[in-house]
Amino acid sequence: MKKKFIAIIAGILMLLLFATCGTAAPATDPSGAGAPAQTPPAAAADAEQEPITLRFLHKWPEPEFRPWFDALVESYMELNPHVTIIAEAAGDDPIKDLLRIVIGTDQQPDVFFAWSGEFANNFVRAGVVLDLTPHLDADGGAWRNTFMRAGLEPYEMDGRNWGIPIRVNSKVFVYNEALFAEHGLTAPETWDEFLYVAQTFRDAGITPIGFGNASPWAACHYITGLNQKMVPHDVRLVDYYFMTGEFTHPGYVAAHDMFLELHDLGFFNPYVNSTTHSMAREAWFMGESAMFYLSLGEFRTIAAEIGPDGWGFFPMPEIPWGEGRPNYLVGAPDGFLVSAFSQHPEQAIDFLQYMTNMENAVSLIQEIGWPSAVIGAVEAADAPDWLIAGVNNLAEADGMALWLDTDIHIRIADVWLPGLQELLEGTITSEELMQRVQAIAQEVRATYE
Amino acid sequence: MKKISPAALIIKIVVLTLLFIYALTIIYPLIWMVIQGFRTNREFFSDTWGMPQVWVYQNYIDAWNFGIRTYFMNSVFVTATSVVLTVITSSLLAFFLTRYSFKISKLLLVFVLGGMMLSPQISVISLFQLLQTMNLYNTHWALIIPYVAFRIPFITFLMRGYFLGMPREIEEAAFIDGCSSFGIFLRVVLPIARPIIATSALLAAMTFWNEFMFGLVFIESDSLRTIPVGLMNLRGTLVTRWTTLIAGLALSAIPIIMVFLACQKQLVRGLTAGGVKG
Amino acid sequence: MYKSQKRALLYAVPGMALVLIFVYYPLILTFYNAFYRWNAFSPVRTFIGFENFQRLFSDPVIGIALTNNTLYAVISVIFQCGLGLVLAAVLENKMFSKFQGFFRTIYFMPVVVSFAVIGILWQLALHPASGIVNPFLHLIGLGAFAQDWLGQSTTAIYSIIFVSQWQNIGYIMLLFLVAMQKIPTDYYEAAAIDGATGIKSFFHITIPLVKEMTLVTVVITVIGAYRVFDEVFIMTEGGPGMSSQTLVTYMYRTGFRTDEMGYASAIAVLMFVVLLILTLIQIRVAGTGRSKGEG
Repeated sequence: MKKKFIAIIAGILMLLLFATCGTAAPATDPSGAGAPAQTPPAAAADAEQEPITLRFLHKWPEPEFRPWFDALVESYMELNPHVTIIAEAAGDDPIKDLLRIVIGTDQQPDVFFAWSGEFANNFVRAGVVLDLTPHLDADGGAWRNTFMRAGLEPYEMDGRNWGIPIRVNSKVFVYNEALFAEHGLTAPETWDEFLYVAQTFRDAGITPIGFGNASPWAACHYITGLNQKMVPHDVRLVDYYFMTGEFTHPGYVAAHDMFLELHDLGFFNPYVNSTTHSMAREAWFMGESAMFYLSLGEFRTIAAEIGPDGWGFFPMPEIPWGEGRPNYLVGAPDGFLVSAFSQHPEQAIDFLQYMTNMENAVSLIQEIGWPSAVIGAVEAADAPDWLIAGVNNLAEADGMALWLDTDIHIRIADVWLPGLQELLEGTITSEELMQRVQAIAQEVRATYE
Repeated sequence: MKKISPAALIIKIVVLTLLFIYALTIIYPLIWMVIQGFRTNREFFSDTWGMPQVWVYQNYIDAWNFGIRTYFMNSVFVTATSVVLTVITSSLLAFFLTRYSFKISKLLLVFVLGGMMLSPQISVISLFQLLQTMNLYNTHWALIIPYVAFRIPFITFLMRGYFLGMPREIEEAAFIDGCSSFGIFLRVVLPIARPIIATSALLAAMTFWNEFMFGLVFIESDSLRTIPVGLMNLRGTLVTRWTTLIAGLALSAIPIIMVFLACQKQLVRGLTAGGVKG
Repeated sequence: MYKSQKRALLYAVPGMALVLIFVYYPLILTFYNAFYRWNAFSPVRTFIGFENFQRLFSDPVIGIALTNNTLYAVISVIFQCGLGLVLAAVLENKMFSKFQGFFRTIYFMPVVVSFAVIGILWQLALHPASGIVNPFLHLIGLGAFAQDWLGQSTTAIYSIIFVSQWQNIGYIMLLFLVAMQKIPTDYYEAAAIDGATGIKSFFHITIPLVKEMTLVTVVITVIGAYRVFDEVFIMTEGGPGMSSQTLVTYMYRTGFRTDEMGYASAIAVLMFVVLLILTLIQIRVAGTGRSKGEG
């Protein structure tokens, strides 16, 4: 018995060891930071060039988007045979932790995704980000002039450029045209109209707004817009900067109350805190809710699920009594930073220039339907109507309110966002939430004084 | 033996029913998982109880290709290597602790066994620092070495108990025949200790296979991830494809359940010998 | 025999070195780290004395986490040790010993499955709109108890604890089964002659004779409860709000999400202290501290 068992165990172990031989080789490859790339003999012209390895970290591992990045990397490596790019992708939530972990290590990516605003500034202040200003300004600003202002500006800090945008995203309400027509409704322009539309659906027994807040950035994007509309522009900017934030303006409480009202009036689907954004979105695709708050970057998924027609969108409705600037959008560019410790910064920048050249900007639009930050790309790409409309909407706006959670200090966001779940649950009020935010803002200020 | 009275029979039936219901609450979610893996997203959302209208094998193929294959191989490699290293180092250590008496031996014993009380969770941040300075971060060794180090105290403890109970006569005979101490360890002690080695290997393998936190913090590359962390990653990747994700869950669970069913007896014996998990 | 003592030290070196460098040294490093303000990606480290430790006492989330860990411990002791003991006793009973193998296999099955699988599975199953738990409750007439399990701060931690019980009862039951198998059958036979069968013999024979194992299981579950990470991180990440945070998840969050590695280290130190106290209590209760290991 025992012998047989030992034999079995030994056998299993041997099998396991052999089974891994196949994987060991590729597995060790990414771990060897400086593993020299094999120069194909065919590329004689490049034979003298030193092999270069770049690490590239982005945040789109989804099967809808990742192939575009893989193809980009592939084609860049074909054009530059001496360059090997190791691409990694981590999703929206994991990348927030992963970036912090990996940036301090020897496995630090040369080119990495970061949200604009405080999220990127945090890394800039730590001295781990390369200043891209000279590269943007080279040749009379040749590279700089290819980007929309709304793409570059949020990545500026202290008058320097730190990030290169790949797309400019914004948040809008999409709606089911058939349901709207059925109830004789049109896209609302003001908050009161919006409430009326929602009430109409509510009365008809249809969920007015699909909403999934299992990850509380979903609620945070509502608050991003409502804060912008309710709080005077300058006050908000002062508050969002971690050295001066106080958050005492009454507009914040009002913004939260208006958001909470949507929930309390039954305008959202039930179980918002355990429903994920994508679950709720699926329900909207299936016609179970009338409206949904999502980003331009998700338009292609809608087109794929329910077709190019049958749905429309409108920006967050204006609030006439709000003290913020009118005609602002909720949104931000998504883009990449270059590591200050990169061994090959020139190559990293060359890769970014390749990523944002017109050809790839057009491909970005055609392949995955993203609003490229490159000027003229949408026109050149013969983009679908829904994307043109979305980008025009962006162009017509006077400004953008960056995602709240990546625009304020992480410790404040870490109190604020979980608080939004509690707010929806009814365990705290808007006032209490803002008191917590004020308290943590003060603590953060004190920390850095 | 007395005959079963009607009252006893009723009790028997009631208790059996309860036991069976409890068994169902364990088995059903697992079966549900396997079945949902064959359905489409839409089917899943419209009726979570239902059977697939068409059995979609594609979910399983996709889940395998989207990552489970890589994660599985990584888990196998990390687990197997860690187990081998744990068994080697621990048996040597236990051999030393039971066969030699130095002045510091008692101290060493306390030192090793004291390690059992230290939780890996407490050290995750400093270990991260340490691995980073050793240039091990984001390699499989960043998992293997800490896994082994944190398992040594317990496995040594298990083996020490066994080694102490072994009859010394054979060792003495081997010594007289001219065997070196290492020879005795290799040719006498280890063969006799096979049951405890198997037990230790199984216990260690179970811990390593399911370990989550180190895998989360010490590995960055998707191509190096082990199953538990890889699944979390898949959840982020397949945000819109629940049934593919569920297929991935099933694919990760089935092999380990098969292994369990195959060497249940040994595992049970091992667990009871240890009395400690995790 | 065994005399060439200097060379013999070589046997101890690999194991000792690994334990020293990767188990003990990080612990010391944790204490050291807790006196600084620093994050993972910035080279700047500021010595701030006991500030991180002081903050432990004013941070409301620490209170929530400690409460949750304690809840976890209490419930786990009741269900895993209590129910595990009862299940083991039932399966050891002559009436059911025929079925023991079958039930033992099934009850133990979730133990070997990674919590990543179980957590994600139950997260789906517990969802009120697309899960199977609430429909099941309606089916058996308990629809009134249906909840938004993971979406409410009042139920989230309990739901996580429930899933953890679901996974681990089989394991504890198994430990009890082994302990019971060591009880000589003539004890029961003698008791039966005195008229003590079934429940009576359970209380008078089984429980006293598995006392040691009871202690072992209590220690395992309690210490495990203060180390919980996977369960919470996978199912709720500490939400909704901060309602399901535990010490380890909160440590992870402060260290790797909000850039406070120093504070996270202080939380780790707190954990060390809590676990140390628990271990000392255990040694005290066990008298000699040799209660571990039945084999």
